Amino acid sequence: MTTIIDDLKKNKILGLLKNEKRIDSRGFLEPRSMTIDIDVIQKANGSARIELGNTSVIAGVKIQPDKPFPDLGDKGIFICTAEILPLAHPDIEPGPPGEDVIELARVVDRGIRETSMLDLSKLVLEKNKSVIGIFVDNSITNCDGNLFDACSYASTAAILSSNLPTWKLENEQPVLVEDQESIIPITTIPVSVTMGILNDYIVVDPNADEWECMDARITMITNSDGNICALQKGGSGSVTYDQLKECSQIAISIGPKIRKILKQYQIDN
Amino acid sequence: MENDKRVYVTPGDVITTGPYRADQNVICQNNKIISTVVGISEIYDNNVKVIPLSGIYMPKVNDLIIGKVISHISLSWELDINSCYSGFLPAHDVFGRDFSAHSDELSSRLNIGDLVTAKIANFDKNRDPLITIADRDLGKINSGELVEISPSKVPRLIGKRGTMIQTIESATHASIIIGQNGWLIVSCKNQKLLSKTIDAIKMIETQSHVADLTDKVKSKLESDVGE
Repeated sequence: MTTIIDDLKKNKILGLLKNEKRIDSRGFLEPRSMTIDIDVIQKANGSARIELGNTSVIAGVKIQPDKPFPDLGDKGIFICTAEILPLAHPDIEPGPPGEDVIELARVVDRGIRETSMLDLSKLVLEKNKSVIGIFVDNSITNCDGNLFDACSYASTAAILSSNLPTWKLENEQPVLVEDQESIIPITTIPVSVTMGILNDYIVVDPNADEWECMDARITMITNSDGNICALQKGGSGSVTYDQLKECSQIAISIGPKIRKILKQYQIDN
Repeated sequence: MENDKRVYVTPGDVITTGPYRADQNVICQNNKIISTVVGISEIYDNNVKVIPLSGIYMPKVNDLIIGKVISHISLSWELDINSCYSGFLPAHDVFGRDFSAHSDELSSRLNIGDLVTAKIANFDKNRDPLITIADRDLGKINSGELVEISPSKVPRLIGKRGTMIQTIESATHASIIIGQNGWLIVSCKNQKLLSKTIDAIKMIETQSHVADLTDKVKSKLESDVGE
């Protein structure tokens, strides 16, 4: 998706930055306000709808037994996808996902995978034969910039609020045990923080207008211990070493605030 | 202008009967003038029209519009005109008749992202509307802020004989270029007046159905400016 922003607005956004202001009157390091609803899809194992400013995402979790990957027979499966629905933005067309949407899905997937949010080794029914798969689908219903963080928070909240059904093996086939659910083995809560770099200024959680003006963006995902576990840089601009250091500090400092919000949706024992 | 009584109508409503001329959003059947949209009917100078309450912008020849350059090919620019059609601005309209695709670079005059005030030169629903900027006060916009409202609310923003827009302009000393496609360019002396102007415009958009809106806008602007 490419939206062309008019030059007057672009100049305004860049001009405001010089006065340490943003177009929606936020601080540079201030993410937009976020609302989360969980269990919005009845038939899913877990789901969450998140609104980050005007960006809106629904994530659904489906848990089902599956065959393991040949080289990872002792681990469960985790797959995360994303789709921007045509109703989200006038410039979105139906059809196979573009590069940007594939990147989006992979960055969200990577954030959850590399922080080891899910202890996949506990999702094995029988080694090399049968494991439990956790599938997270993100549907973007409104596009106002920073889909990375919105999808990441939505997926995380959906997983945290999911129950894990129980399967037992009968004749090497997994059979669902009714009314027996446990908690998904969660080790940490990843928090993705996306920063835009506009004219050497770093802004957190860029909205759609800022997104179109920025030279580069950087997404950093931290775990509960405040370690950076995954990173993605995009855009044609470059990031200097000092900017990278500053971005890491920002991501680490914002992490706990958002983690606290997401943790509310975690199912306790 | 005696019988300019405004009535809310829905599609199929008979607005009037008699020898009237069907203008916008109405059809004439057996001497009856029938509305085709939800809106406010208006009868003036033997014409009957309905101002729709919502809807997209349908290009009309000679409409002043604001367009955004979204791409260019060798002989023309493509403009986003906030419609289901995209505007087509031929290069010779800007460069003159001696335009040559070899020597003239389109991006030297208009770049992607530029805003222009333009007019619809020709349109027949089967093709994209032909746009022109070869006239006085038309062309690239260098300053101001783009404000978007629903195209159907543009007549309300202008008001009867321009009263509404004059009210805003005189209260805030703003200069407002109104595109019939619902895009406006607002220029003001300072940011405070600019946000007041935009607030007033948005108020008209959301409360366009309210009676005595001009007075309400006037009192709001006066109270705001007084602060």
